[in-house]
Order: sequence, then structure tokens, then C-alpha cells
Amino acid sequence: MNELLFYIGAIMIIIGGICDLFGALGLLKFPNFYIRLHAATVGTIGGAVVPLFGVGFLALGSDFLGGMKYAIAGASFVTGIIVLLAASAGAHALAYAAHKSKLVKWEPKCDHLEGDEK
Amino acid sequence: MKKLIPITIIILIIFGLAYVMSGKIEPQENVRALGKFYLENSYFGDYSAKSPEVVTAILWDYRGVDTLFETSVFFLAIIGSLTLFRLNKKQEKEAKERIEKVEELTLVIKTVTKVIVAMILAVSASIALHGHLTPGGGFQGGSALAVAPLLIIAAYSKYALEKQGLDKTRALILRSIGLIGIALIALLPLTKGGFIMQNQPIFPWLGGSLIFYNFFEYLAVGAGFTAVFLLLAIPEKVFKKILGVGE
Repeated sequence: MNELLFYIGAIMIIIGGICDLFGALGLLKFPNFYIRLHAATVGTIGGAVVPLFGVGFLALGSDFLGGMKYAIAGASFVTGIIVLLAASAGAHALAYAAHKSKLVKWEPKCDHLEGDEK
Repeated sequence: MKKLIPITIIILIIFGLAYVMSGKIEPQENVRALGKFYLENSYFGDYSAKSPEVVTAILWDYRGVDTLFETSVFFLAIIGSLTLFRLNKKQEKEAKERIEKVEELTLVIKTVTKVIVAMILAVSASIALHGHLTPGGGFQGGSALAVAPLLIIAAYSKYALEKQGLDKTRALILRSIGLIGIALIALLPLTKGGFIMQNQPIFPWLGGSLIFYNFFEYLAVGAGFTAVFLLLAIPEKVFKKILGVGE
């Protein structure tokens, strides 16, 4: 059981590293602000929340930490949940503000709902 | 190209200096006397500060007076910024009135902010109040606490915070309570034959003075930051109108 938790945690940390890499690539390569925002959120949700949960599982599976493992796991889970909530709301706020202030040009690559408004 | 030349020169100078210097500095091989004292007395010794958290032990016990002056530097900075934005009572009232309807953010952001503010309060309290056992402490907890009003100012508005009762004056009162608390906790052991600015075991509950130091520092830092944030959140337009400059 402990080994299982340990490996789940380690795999989640690796997934986080990959997500961070893809987020960074997306930030550089994506064409406009809104799509780059998606890449940034991949970086925070995939690259910060998933590894934080991973650290929590990893700590729960590590017996050599003694009683400290519950403290570490609890801190990482709480931090993970805070980042999970804050990152999505932050991305929403950024997109909302950018659209409202019209600072960013709206140049969609593909807009299936074009003409459906009104 | 024009920018490239200075950058190249700076990089060359830095690397050249590092190359020249590195040969001349002897590597540190032995632990210095001060480091040895901390190592032998704090965690790997007899816990002479009575705290398993070495950073807190050093901050509030071995180097208590140092921390006192460090804290006073921070609070002098806050007092300085408060003086820069000094308003009299009438002007302060004017700054609290909203001139036009402030547009608030969407329901998503407001709801998430409510949840996160509650979580931040809990997390910062745990950082500060566990500071004598686990990494953390008063200053760190206070800085985390100050994020909560900042988020409310961003998601709702400064006026929403003031309507709930947390205005600049109250924040300053809270900060003063924190500072007076630190002073009392530092001075109180003197009456019972203890030492000033150390972790003294004269407080009946909860071990020594560390938790009280951390708690009051938490209060003082959090409230100090909140006062500055509230001042900075006054719109520039309103401020210029109050001072009678510009436009």
C-alpha cells in the first residue's frame, strides 16, 4: 500500500514536469493571448497542482518520515487545493479583464459560434 | 547589436572577476565558532532554546534583540508610507466614499475569492502558530495573512473591505496591539528574574514565549500590510481631488 502511494506520487510529479514543459512551449508558440492563457493554465494546474498532490501521496507513502509525513501531506494537499481554485479563477479574471478592456485583439483561429450571438 | 556589446562586456567582466577571485579565496573547511555554537546548542544539542525549529530559535532566542531591530525597520517603512499618504479626518472620510459605481468582477471570481480568503486565514494562522515547531513563523504567517485583504480589494473593492469594518484605522490599531504585545512578552520575564527577548519558560501554558512572539508578530505584520494596501487602493483620481492638485 505504501509503495503504491509512493509510486503514484512519483508518477504525478513526473506528469507535473511534463505539463510545465508543455506549458512553457505553449506560452512561446501559441498565436494569441487567449490561447496562451490556456498554456499558462496548463502550467499551473498540471505543473503545480498535480505535483503538489503527488508530493502529498509520496509523503504518505514514505514511512521513514515518521509522524512528519502527515504534516507534509496535509500541507501539500491544502496548498494544491488553493492553487487549483486560485489558478482557474485567476485565468478567468485575466480573460475577462482583457476582453472587457479591449487591450487584446480578438483574432480567433476558428470560431464555431460566429454569427450565433445576438 | 548595440545592446549586445555592453552585455558581452558585463558578462566578460563578471566571469573574469569570478575566475580571478576563485583562486584566491580559501574554501571554508571548518565550522565557524558562531555556527558551531548554534549547531551544538539548538537542534543537535540540548535544545537550549527549547524549540525544535532552529530558525525560530535563532530569531527569537539567540538573536532576539537583532530581530527586534529587524522588525522595527519593517515598521519604520510602514510608518513612512503612512506618513506619505497622511490625510486628516475629513479627508479620510472623503476617501471612503465611492465617487462612482465601482464595477466588480464576475460571480466566479467573487465566489472563489470567498473560499480562498477563508483558506488563507487558516493557512496563515497555522504557519504563524506552529512557527515554534515547524518551519514558519510570525513574519511569514503575517505576510500570508496580508494576501487575504489584497484579494478582497482585487476581487470586490476597497470599499467592500471598509464596509465590513476593516478600515485603515482599525488595521493600525491591530498593528499597535501586535507591537505592544511583542514588547510586553519581551519585558515581562524581567519581573520574574528572566532575560529580555528570549524564549522564557515563565508563561504558564503553551511552553515558552515563542508562540506569543509569533502570534503578535503575525498580527502586527498582517495588519501593517493591510493598512498600506488600503492606502494604495485609494484611486488616484480621488487622491488628487482631496489634495487639490492636478487636473
